[in-house]
Amino acid sequence: MLEIKNLKASINNKDILKGLNISIKPGELHAIMGPNGSGKSTLANVLSGKEGYKISGELLYQGKNLEEISIDERAQQGIFLAFQYPTEIPGVNTSNFLRTSLNKVRKSQGKEELDALKFIKMIKDKSKELGIDEKMLSRQLNVGFSGGEKKKNEILQMKILDPNLIILDETDSGLDIDALKIVADGVNSSRNDKKSFLVITHYQRLLNYINPDHVHILSDGKIVKSGTMKLAEDLERTGYKGIN
Amino acid sequence: MLNFKIDSSEIDKVGNFNKQEKDFRLKNLENFNKNGFPNKRNEDWKFSDLREIVSKNFKKLNFHSTNNTEQKIDLIKEFEHNFIVLTNGELTSSNFSYEDKDKIKIQKYSNYPLSEKTELNPLISLNHAMANKGFILEVEENYKFNKILVIYSLYTDKLNENIINCKNKIKIGKNSELHTLEYLINNSKANFFNNIYENIVLDDSAKFKNICIQKNKSSGYFHKYSNNKLGTNSNYSSFVFPAGLKFNKLDLEFDLTGKNSECKLLAASYLSQKDHQEIKTRINHFASDCKSFQKVKNVLDSESKGVFQGKIFVKDIAQKTDAYQLSKAILLNDSSEFNSKPELEIYADNVKCSHGSSSGSIDKNSVFYLMSRGLSKKESVNLLIDGFLSEITNEIKNQKIKTFIINRLRIQLDGHKKH
Repeated sequence: MLEIKNLKASINNKDILKGLNISIKPGELHAIMGPNGSGKSTLANVLSGKEGYKISGELLYQGKNLEEISIDERAQQGIFLAFQYPTEIPGVNTSNFLRTSLNKVRKSQGKEELDALKFIKMIKDKSKELGIDEKMLSRQLNVGFSGGEKKKNEILQMKILDPNLIILDETDSGLDIDALKIVADGVNSSRNDKKSFLVITHYQRLLNYINPDHVHILSDGKIVKSGTMKLAEDLERTGYKGIN
Repeated sequence: MLNFKIDSSEIDKVGNFNKQEKDFRLKNLENFNKNGFPNKRNEDWKFSDLREIVSKNFKKLNFHSTNNTEQKIDLIKEFEHNFIVLTNGELTSSNFSYEDKDKIKIQKYSNYPLSEKTELNPLISLNHAMANKGFILEVEENYKFNKILVIYSLYTDKLNENIINCKNKIKIGKNSELHTLEYLINNSKANFFNNIYENIVLDDSAKFKNICIQKNKSSGYFHKYSNNKLGTNSNYSSFVFPAGLKFNKLDLEFDLTGKNSECKLLAASYLSQKDHQEIKTRINHFASDCKSFQKVKNVLDSESKGVFQGKIFVKDIAQKTDAYQLSKAILLNDSSEFNSKPELEIYADNVKCSHGSSSGSIDKNSVFYLMSRGLSKKESVNLLIDGFLSEITNEIKNQKIKTFIINRLRIQLDGHKKH
């Protein structure tokens, strides 16, 4: 699904990623943990195509060179980034936006666009599943949403767009236990042998619920250690300083 | 620089006037000729050098009236309405089929009370000197309109460097209510100048709502001075969606003369291709317990220029004034420009007045967020513009009219974007 070889990324002449390697197969869930400033969010941004980074190395998504695919096409081809800080978009109705987004993705995949009625049914079902208050859908996109609502809205979008590669950028930070559980349930119920996940997080908490296949530790722009869930548990005990 | 001095013989061409009125017109013409079209040395025009704009775009100024026979108009089908038609400023038809006609008086412009005041704005002097078109609408006491009144303002292809001077007056009686939609239809291919003097009077407890929007782009240069008087407990909301005019200056003055009166000005514009637009306001809080609210939003594209000059004046006796003013602009590229000059002049001590102004480019993180959900860059930017302007359109309560306005704005936006 995703093949990253010797990825280097810099912004404003500052090197952030310094030769990162990772390989994610369909159906796998990888977790990346790392201290502040280790390059976690940069990795998420680079994968989703955010401008401003100077990149070298190999980035392959389903065998294709990611760098040649624009941000919107990445989304249309099944890459989804759940933002650490979802942007507030004043004046844009959440539900209308979700429908526009879904139909753009469906259209590009040669699928039929959903009419308003079918969409409403779908969004109601998915919201219910995630315990999202329907009133949120008629509000302006992310405007005045609590931290938890914003993150749930990201998971709702993930559910609706049905992507192949999902990158969760610290979706767990700032969530209370109930919201964390909802996010985890959202991830677990989406997992299948075709979808891949890259979960970026500071803490073991979320991982307890979603059971990653692989855990990597990112430090100073490189993966310094890879292992299983046990690595995350060790990390929780020893802290990042205890690793190496 | 062209000489735009106007010979006094031009006055005779626009009508026959008695001595008193002729003198009034001559005096005003003299004032205009002394000052000419205002340029940026005049503080009120520092961001809109009209002298330069007129010199660049007009070879002559033609005061001859066009022959304004009744023109066929495609009436708005989206909602039921009364209407009047102004053809090149002249009242050519009216239809109040939804109303009690005894309560409404509509007539062509006739003589206004002549003011002794020497106007500081040369364009008002020009209007006083040369006006010969317009309408007067009066609504009796205790009458609430059943349907909105659409004012179709048609500019025909007969115009060629014409300068139209019109005076319009609306007077709403005590406890009465009127909603209007001014709808500008432009068929003129050649440049023309439209100089409007408007006078709106709301008697005690009267309500007035006005929306102004263009149907299409125009080669017109517009200046409107509007004087609005609000009596006790009266309420006035004005929505302006000006766009696609080569030059447009709205000089709006609201006098809150009666206690508990309230005025609201909301504007949303998308400007492009060298459009130049200025909204200048002066809200005069002359009585206590009045409220004023102004929100002006501009999106500026290729080489367009937007200006907002907003002044709130609070007289010493106007205690418990609540005045708010905000202007926001999004600049889509480096060649567009937005100037804002908010002013407060307050002589009362128990008031709540606030103002704010911001301008900036479109938020890159927002574009990234929307694109990461599959929208193209253009779609993302358009969605953000829609969202930015929707804060104003959302204030329109009537759903059908709101949809009509949103659709018109979308056409303006799409039309401009094609270029």
